[in-house]
Amino acid sequence: MTASAHSSIPEGSPGRGPVVRRRRAPLARLGRSERLWGVIFVAPAVLLVVYFLAYPLGTVVYYGLTRWNGLSPAEWVGLHNYRVLMHDPVFRLALRNNFLFALSVPIQLTVPLVLAYMIHIRIPGWAFFRATFFVPATIATVVVGIVAYSTFQVSGALNSLLGAVGLGTLEHDWLASAHTSIPLILLVVVWANFGYNVLIYLAGMAALDPALEEAARIDGAGPWRILLYVVAPNLRRVMELVLVTSTVTAFAYMFTYIYVITNGGPGFDTNVAEFQIYYQWFTNGNAGYACAMATLLLLITAAIGAFQIRILARRGG
Amino acid sequence: MTAAGSSGRALRLRASHRWPLVAGMLILSASAFFPLYVMISNGFRTNQDWADTQIGLPTTFGLAAFRRAWEGASIGDSFVNSVEISVGTVVLSIVVATMAAYACAKIRWRLRRAAFLFLLVWIVVPPLVLLVPVYIELSSLPLVHTNLLNSKLGIVLVYTAVNLPFNMYLMTAYFSSLPDELLEAARIDGANVPQTFAFVMVPLARPALATLAIFNFLWAWNEFMFALFILTSTGTKPLTVAVQQLQGRFDQDPTGLMAGLCIATLPVIGVYLVFQRHLVRAITAGVGK
Repeated sequence: MTASAHSSIPEGSPGRGPVVRRRRAPLARLGRSERLWGVIFVAPAVLLVVYFLAYPLGTVVYYGLTRWNGLSPAEWVGLHNYRVLMHDPVFRLALRNNFLFALSVPIQLTVPLVLAYMIHIRIPGWAFFRATFFVPATIATVVVGIVAYSTFQVSGALNSLLGAVGLGTLEHDWLASAHTSIPLILLVVVWANFGYNVLIYLAGMAALDPALEEAARIDGAGPWRILLYVVAPNLRRVMELVLVTSTVTAFAYMFTYIYVITNGGPGFDTNVAEFQIYYQWFTNGNAGYACAMATLLLLITAAIGAFQIRILARRGG
Repeated sequence: MTAAGSSGRALRLRASHRWPLVAGMLILSASAFFPLYVMISNGFRTNQDWADTQIGLPTTFGLAAFRRAWEGASIGDSFVNSVEISVGTVVLSIVVATMAAYACAKIRWRLRRAAFLFLLVWIVVPPLVLLVPVYIELSSLPLVHTNLLNSKLGIVLVYTAVNLPFNMYLMTAYFSSLPDELLEAARIDGANVPQTFAFVMVPLARPALATLAIFNFLWAWNEFMFALFILTSTGTKPLTVAVQQLQGRFDQDPTGLMAGLCIATLPVIGVYLVFQRHLVRAITAGVGK
């Protein structure tokens, strides 16, 4: 980056303090003090990031290559943990469940798009819908999980409702089997996030050039055609963003739901990778093994997230 | 940015499409209030009434469940902890992110693009990956050898770091949208970099700062995973952890749990209703224009 002429002021201008030395650095005529202030202003953030993000991630990768119980000194075992991981049926089951939860992605991509479009074209009640759809996203995940647990557990609201309307034969211990609990948790996650995705889509639609939709309308296209052929194609970047965030959610933001709703059970049936990391570390004392799994999870989400950074970096800065 | 959707264009759907859709959206809206209905209707009734009919409206009304939760289950202490942690996170996040964003958007120095990208990339790190190493790190901080496990300061530092990439991004986008002429004017008036920052840019950034404050407050208030492992005593644990521990006594005292959920949730809903616009701005940062 070079200093643009109109916005640079020669050194020694009032308020800059005494100029000790003038040097024509590659940044022509940029104040030394300006460079110094840049470093000073960014320093707390960089320190915090290095201390609580970069360094811990480094230790995760390192401990993933050791046998370690979290307390005594770690013993270097190379790729041993990863070899074990390849053949660990519980971890495989956990990853499979992550992929099952990723089945929510198409729903999260399409349903909020339609809902946002309805608000966008001002369906009756649109302002009310816009305000209420976001309510679930403001409730803490742990609270959503506890309400889901109390609703679906065997003596919960769902079963009493079924009994009350004469469908008692459908009563079921919903959380006792992964066949029912995984779809229910998936539903809860979709429900908890849909308002968030609607908001993202709405912002994207508000930024579209109204002339596009107007032209299509004059050409005789109905609302659905306009959504399909004009609005959706022009929201590609927003859809990329929703795709990335909902995929990452399925792989890396499931812990609280699982912990509260099924605690991974019955057995390991509703386990996800995150839960297995916690379990191996906290319950089994295999911190080294847990770190190897964490490294793998990091690689998966970083690969997906690289798209997100590209999208964000195009706009900011 | 205007509130999302306010520049919507009215288009009419065929009535046979419109009314089923409106009905479906009404059901979704109702479902949005379902957890609130569950916790409020059950928080004010007795356990006996709950056992009789947990889905219907309460036939008893009392504050006993709230009293049991507030005192017996120390939800009151946790409420104070949640406030302290959330406010601490908001203050530290605003200071650190705003300074960094200013350096990335408005101070002309060679590494500003590199600094921006360095601070941004961590946005992809899932919090759970950090759980084990951060726990270990807090038990004995490198270089300073202090134990910040079970300390509100420790969790505030972690929360600030985890959200820093997003906060910095949000503020950088905002500062970038302000015209450089403002800086020029300040400089001609003799202000140096920190003076320009404190007396020109920060006052101009007030709307963005409000957005940042609301977003981080809600995030910290609702965070569960780090708090579960790091904050374990009555003196430190926030509401999310406290209500989850009430869940363990669900069979004995379901209404006490629901009262706890009310205490944990209703303030947040209030904050959302009051500051809706700011929150929407934070969520939709990076989308559109």
